[in-house]
Amino acid sequence: MTATTPDTPKSPLKTGAGKRLTLDALKRDRSDDLTGQVFLGLLLLAVAIAGAMVLAVLITVAIDAADVLSTQFWDFLNNKSSSDPARAGVAQGIRGSILIAGIVSIVAFPVGIGAAVYLEEYASDTKLTRLIEVTVRNLAGVPSIVYGLLGLAVFVQGLRGITGGSSVISAGLTLALLVLPIIIITASEAIRAIPSTLREGAYGLGATQWEVIRTQVLPAAMPGILTGAVLSIARALGEAAPLLVVGAAAFYSTGFQGQLDQLQGAFTALPMNVATFAKLPADVWAGHAAAASVVVLVLVFAINLAAIIMRARLTKKLGR
Amino acid sequence: MPDALPSTVVNTTTPTNANAETPDTVFTVRDLNVYYGDFRAVVDVGLEVYEREITAFIGPSGCGKSTVLRCFNRMNDLIDIARVEGTLLYHDIDLYHEDVDPVAVRRRIGMVFQKPNPFPKSIYDNVAFGPKIAGIGGDLDELVETSLKGAGLWEEVKDRLDKSALGLSGGQQQRLCIARAIAVQPDVLLMDEPCSALDPIATGTIEELMREMKNQYTIVIVTHNMQQAARVSDRTAFFTAEADESTGQRRGKLVEYDDTGLIFSNPADKRTEAYVTGRFG
Amino acid sequence: MKPAWRPAPPSIWSRGFAAGLEVALYLVITILVAVVEYFVAGPFQDFDLSNWWIGFIIMAAWQGWHWAAAQTPVGSYVDHYIADTDGSPACFWCVVVRQLSRFGFLIALPVLAFSTNIALAVALFAVAGLLIAFLPDGRAPWDLLAGTVVSESLAFERPAALAEITKASDFQLGPQRIAENNRARRMMLIAGLSSVFISVLILWNIFSEAWEFVSASEFEWSLLTDIGWFPRRNKFDLATLFVGTLWITGIAILVAAPVGLGVAIYLAEYANSKVRTYVKPMIETLASIPSVVLGFFAISFISPDILKPGGSIFGIDFGIFSLLSAGIGVGILSVPIVASIAEDAMRAVPKELREASYGLGARKATTALRVVFPAALSGISAAIIVAVSRAIGETMVVFIAAGGSGGAIFEANPTEPGQTITAAMASLGAGTDSVAGSGIAFQSLYFLGALLFIMTLLLNVFSDAIVRRFRQVY
Repeated sequence: MTATTPDTPKSPLKTGAGKRLTLDALKRDRSDDLTGQVFLGLLLLAVAIAGAMVLAVLITVAIDAADVLSTQFWDFLNNKSSSDPARAGVAQGIRGSILIAGIVSIVAFPVGIGAAVYLEEYASDTKLTRLIEVTVRNLAGVPSIVYGLLGLAVFVQGLRGITGGSSVISAGLTLALLVLPIIIITASEAIRAIPSTLREGAYGLGATQWEVIRTQVLPAAMPGILTGAVLSIARALGEAAPLLVVGAAAFYSTGFQGQLDQLQGAFTALPMNVATFAKLPADVWAGHAAAASVVVLVLVFAINLAAIIMRARLTKKLGR
Repeated sequence: MPDALPSTVVNTTTPTNANAETPDTVFTVRDLNVYYGDFRAVVDVGLEVYEREITAFIGPSGCGKSTVLRCFNRMNDLIDIARVEGTLLYHDIDLYHEDVDPVAVRRRIGMVFQKPNPFPKSIYDNVAFGPKIAGIGGDLDELVETSLKGAGLWEEVKDRLDKSALGLSGGQQQRLCIARAIAVQPDVLLMDEPCSALDPIATGTIEELMREMKNQYTIVIVTHNMQQAARVSDRTAFFTAEADESTGQRRGKLVEYDDTGLIFSNPADKRTEAYVTGRFG
Repeated sequence: MKPAWRPAPPSIWSRGFAAGLEVALYLVITILVAVVEYFVAGPFQDFDLSNWWIGFIIMAAWQGWHWAAAQTPVGSYVDHYIADTDGSPACFWCVVVRQLSRFGFLIALPVLAFSTNIALAVALFAVAGLLIAFLPDGRAPWDLLAGTVVSESLAFERPAALAEITKASDFQLGPQRIAENNRARRMMLIAGLSSVFISVLILWNIFSEAWEFVSASEFEWSLLTDIGWFPRRNKFDLATLFVGTLWITGIAILVAAPVGLGVAIYLAEYANSKVRTYVKPMIETLASIPSVVLGFFAISFISPDILKPGGSIFGIDFGIFSLLSAGIGVGILSVPIVASIAEDAMRAVPKELREASYGLGARKATTALRVVFPAALSGISAAIIVAVSRAIGETMVVFIAAGGSGGAIFEANPTEPGQTITAAMASLGAGTDSVAGSGIAFQSLYFLGALLFIMTLLLNVFSDAIVRRFRQVY
């Protein structure tokens, strides 16, 4: 490369006017090509590293969990938390996570989808609309632990009479607030993708705005909306930081008593189980942390898979 | 160049109709101006649309013919920055009166759009949509069948009414949209370049359909296809876009409105003549 | 006057959706009331049964307004119309019973909340449900849940042939469709305002508590520059936390930026659709791994199997807990963020630009690096900023793997354990410092929250501004 001087023209453009273009000028420039190969090599390395990260996480967790899961699989799923490694399990975590997911979907789905409909279908370009859009975008970037603080102040302490303090209700409502901006953003995108010809078609037949939304826009946007909503549930199931602040228990011994106790009493969740086990001395508890991780991962992956399948089926149903 | 030409709107009030008796007026338009924000897109349009006739709007693109059409069922209300000024009477009722609900207007004045836009539902549900939201009584199945027959689509789709409408061809989709529009039994059908996305054979089918439907509906059609206007319409309005002297923006104007025969054989305005003989546009 | 044609009632799903929306609205109102209560009675007062009546009275007033408005000609026509299924105004007693049933629902909620007497709550629901079910218009019991939202969407217009139009006001819709349309609009607006409401809640809560921390009598500004972070002993050295956060963020970006950008360029410029179907899900899998699992991964793999053998070569002794280990863990979490945002940015670069480059005889690598990358630079920098913001806010990996669970002394060496803002908050919140609810140590939690909120907000606003500019280019 450095040898290139004005005397040895490399570029065909620089060949003298009288000279005929030779095949040499059209040949591959090996040095240039080599740069390209090296660049591609680096890109492939990056992809390989990313792949290695995924595999390393999954394999590490699987190997560490093998012992616990092979010897006490059902006990691990069915037992409550305990200070005895042989009897400790994640039943309370599974129960808490399922209840939290339920509360999140009841609260966050309707409000999130409603907000998206407002932003995309009703809102005109006013200051209020812009305020809503800006707050939604910024809320999506607020660290999850800050939502924990909010939950602590409002649900655990402010609404203690209803939520019962540090309870599944508080945790569910906190995580509902956490995923709300995500649901609004994904639902807005899904609604925005609906062609305006569809709306015009319905308006042209004398439908009111609400009828247009209910009968055309929402059904057509449903695959995207539901996928986003379901993925947000997966996100809520994996969150531990807000639960720590809201007061999820590391261990609690009260059994399943009254129905109300289940909602207002002490609680924990699967990611909390993982964190608790991981914080204990590793020589005894690493296997439990890994096994709880496996349960979380299976749950999260299953939900993601469900979202993909649901999207495919709904799209097919709407399509040709 | 436009300055040298005679006054813009010619002969709008008393068309030299060959028939002795003048049919009933459906739309009366006076001094209609449409603004997009500060931009005046359509300038001082005045014309009348008559019952059980096909009225065609022709002109080069950007001349405001679709904009004017969309005033007739207040589709322009859906555009935030659009503003309509002037008089637009439907059977002597001001369509832009504050008591008028645009949704109720669209129930009576149906519309077929440029691109076929069936809902992603079954063929049956597409046609039944309008009657359902309007609460039209009676036998829905029968209504769907009548509407599809009216659009000349029944024979082709009667065995697959529950299949998705998106599986139909472009021409079939457009006829489905026509069936969907007539299922609510409107008085008027507005058609915004209904054939521009279709092949010639499908276009022919729809033109034939329009001639049949003329017995029941008043039809206003916007088309960029002069031959189509000549073939199907009774009256033709020619619009053009002219640069504003002060701002230089191109604004839509009605040049001439008359019997289709006269517009194409003996236009009064030089610009119309230039357009219909293919010298511009 | 019964209609000739009766439409199918709304599906169970739309009923369910309406019910969910209405329940959510009740919850929002409840929370609103609680917030008022919180400001009036002072922070952290228990919210007890007597205060519930504030909410109850508000709801009663609202219902009363509905009922009164329904009696007026204008109200019944335009907005607050409560109709029977045939479109005629509901009879007086229908309205009374329906509204009472909503009260029943409102009473049942507090009963559920304050007593263990589930039977009483169920009975209340049952009575109200039966009343509804045997109303003249025959609603299903579960419609009770959705109140008037569903009952009025059940109502429909009388089948109408086109009536003669003689004046402008004949161009009107039936009252149900108008009311339904207005109600839908209002409910969606309330849902939309929820985000503003949450923002205000966050701001108010966190900053008022943070202010309490700063204005407390025990507080002195010198405490923020003490020898370390020991909230129990009133030592709140911010530098200790900031240096930890800086290390974690820096290491995470060093890991995530090259890998994420490499993946992004590969996906946007090189990968064909078949390769994409393998690489994309891989990145999505990485994105869906919860951060606790990565925290566990950091202490069970990164520390013992990578850092320990690697460090021994350079003579550094790594323990299980170190900032470096946690930083790499956070970096792995950030890879998919960088990859997906940067890929989107590069895909948004118009094809014409690439074709122009190829037309000039550029190779793929040249096109990618000299044309696409600079054109997408603003989006790519936004990707990095978002990753930085996430890394700053990431809690669990650091909480588990950085090792600073109690207090922490100032430590600038990333091979040693350390403490970050988020991990310190998690420790405080989890009560590992045994401070929950006592003294200004607890308020320091909110002080840190406020700092964190401001930092991430500035980064988000910054990246948003960049993305906005970059959207304008194309």
